[in-house]
Amino acid sequence: MIDDASPDMGFFTDVTLCIGCKACEVACKQWNQLPSDGYALSGNSYDNTGRLSATTWRHVDFVEQFDRINPAESRWVMMSDVCKHCTHAGCMEACPTGAIIRNEYGAVYVQPDICNGCGYCVPACPFGVIALEPDQGVAQKCTLCYDRMKDGIEPACAKACPTDSIQFGPVEQLKERARRRTEELLARNVPARLYGVDEDTSVGDLNAFFLITDRPEVFNLPPKPVLPSTYQPVAYLSGFLATAALAIVAMQAFRSR
Amino acid sequence: MAGVTHGDIVQITPDAVAASLARGDGGFGRNQRSYYDHPVLRGAHWRWEIIWYFYIGGLMSGSAILAAAADTFGAEGDEAVVRNGRWLALVGAAISPLLLIKDLGRPERFLNMTRILKLKSPMSVGVWSLLSFSGLSAIAVLEELRGRGRVPWLLGGLLPRGPRNLAHALAAAFTGSYTGVLISATAVPVWNSGRRQIPAIFVCSAVATACAAQAALLALRGGSARSINKLERIEFVASLTEGVLLVDYASSAGETGNALFGGETGQRLRANTLVGGIAVPALLNLASLFTKPSHAGKPNVVKTLIAAGLTLYGGYVLRKSLIEAGRASADDPRAALRQPE
Ligand code: SF4
Ligand code: SF4
Repeated sequence: MIDDASPDMGFFTDVTLCIGCKACEVACKQWNQLPSDGYALSGNSYDNTGRLSATTWRHVDFVEQFDRINPAESRWVMMSDVCKHCTHAGCMEACPTGAIIRNEYGAVYVQPDICNGCGYCVPACPFGVIALEPDQGVAQKCTLCYDRMKDGIEPACAKACPTDSIQFGPVEQLKERARRRTEELLARNVPARLYGVDEDTSVGDLNAFFLITDRPEVFNLPPKPVLPSTYQPVAYLSGFLATAALAIVAMQAFRSR
Repeated sequence: MAGVTHGDIVQITPDAVAASLARGDGGFGRNQRSYYDHPVLRGAHWRWEIIWYFYIGGLMSGSAILAAAADTFGAEGDEAVVRNGRWLALVGAAISPLLLIKDLGRPERFLNMTRILKLKSPMSVGVWSLLSFSGLSAIAVLEELRGRGRVPWLLGGLLPRGPRNLAHALAAAFTGSYTGVLISATAVPVWNSGRRQIPAIFVCSAVATACAAQAALLALRGGSARSINKLERIEFVASLTEGVLLVDYASSAGETGNALFGGETGQRLRANTLVGGIAVPALLNLASLFTKPSHAGKPNVVKTLIAAGLTLYGGYVLRKSLIEAGRASADDPRAALRQPE
């Protein structure tokens, strides 16, 4: 049943609380029955997964920052990454079949029975999240646990998170909490900032947003994500002008005697 | 399969620590530029099917535009351009959807593309434009046959000649240029940094390769020297414009353009497209610019075939390089994390 009254739901992921246990990654895999990605060792800290993919919808970054001059400044920053469920979602705009929809909880959801695997949503995501799943031939990513939400249960990752680094709830409420948390941390001289909230970008606020303690690049987050469709007007104009110019050339050429 | 790539893996070796200390960035691991150099974006999976789709799409739309222009403005003797153009368009229109379908993860669901028309999605408008183009190309060929008394039973004159040519040319122009919009309007840095040039480059290359194909056909089948002369004039302008736009693209894209204009890809593009596919044919066609069509002598078959072959190959390399550069660019975290202008 469509519950239009539901406010937009989302995630507030706070890196200062993450202990890198990967319970979210595991809970997501289990609930969504996602296959294993193999056992390769990356050599990059405790992260052997690397990044989000068609079969990994939560992924924990392990950022090691060892300071040899001031060892006390050394730190480890862990961040659980996920689909951002953008206000203006590049993937959704790009999809030609209408397989990608915004559901009643404000989440960006891929209907697996409609997607035909054209793959155009993949390069249209400014965060490199959505990907084609080769076995089923369709695009896959975090669903914000649509199936659980319909039964009133919170998403598997947020449920599993032991420190509440992942908080799930109505987005507006989460934003308020996140702003307060940022101020608190700043007062304690922790270089906290929100990523995906109150920023002036064409993707708009992110329904799954983050509190980070370093530049976004450190977590492979684009510092200023751009919604790809904003490039369309000038691109169409480019094609149109060339067509008009060549039409005149062709007319002149065929008219010449 | 998890997409784990190992770029310059940051490892804590004594050398790395010493280098970090020497840089004065507070020790190892601070000032990271990316997350272990993992790709930030994901490229399109497109392989040979889509390279050929882009290429044939250009060739067929260029042919249809030439056919419509020749039918509308041409003189006696240009009928072969009209006929060949319409047939090339129809053959292309028959092959392209097959390539598109073959590329899908779920080919049997191709028709899901026609569930909706979504103006915001170049893929959606493109498919609709391709389908209209196919229909109009079929009508054009039927009219062609009817005009020569081959199919007298046809409803004929379904559309009056003027609007029919216009519609065919417009559908062709859109089908030939939307692919440029399709790749420009993505998060892939090397593609979106070419949004001012790529669609125009595709249109120019579409017309240039179609002129080449048509000129070659005419030369081989003893066609009119006047028509060849006209085609070579159009090709000259179209491919020189393409060359100028490519140079402009390379210089405005800066470092982000390296995926396309640097390294082996760049070398191949310069050799086969800029020099081989544009400059050399332009030189070969130069004479046509200074000869009036009515003064064109016997066609130089060998010259025409060489110029056409080079142009056609250059157009193919252009599509191939662009698609492969897109993947390289998406895999490069530095390009993705650079602040957009
Ligand atoms: S992060 Fe990417 S996949 Fe997720 S909603 Fe935004 S555009 Fe779509
Ligand atoms: S791969 Fe599927 S979800 Fe993505 S754009 Fe194509 S049809 Fe839409």
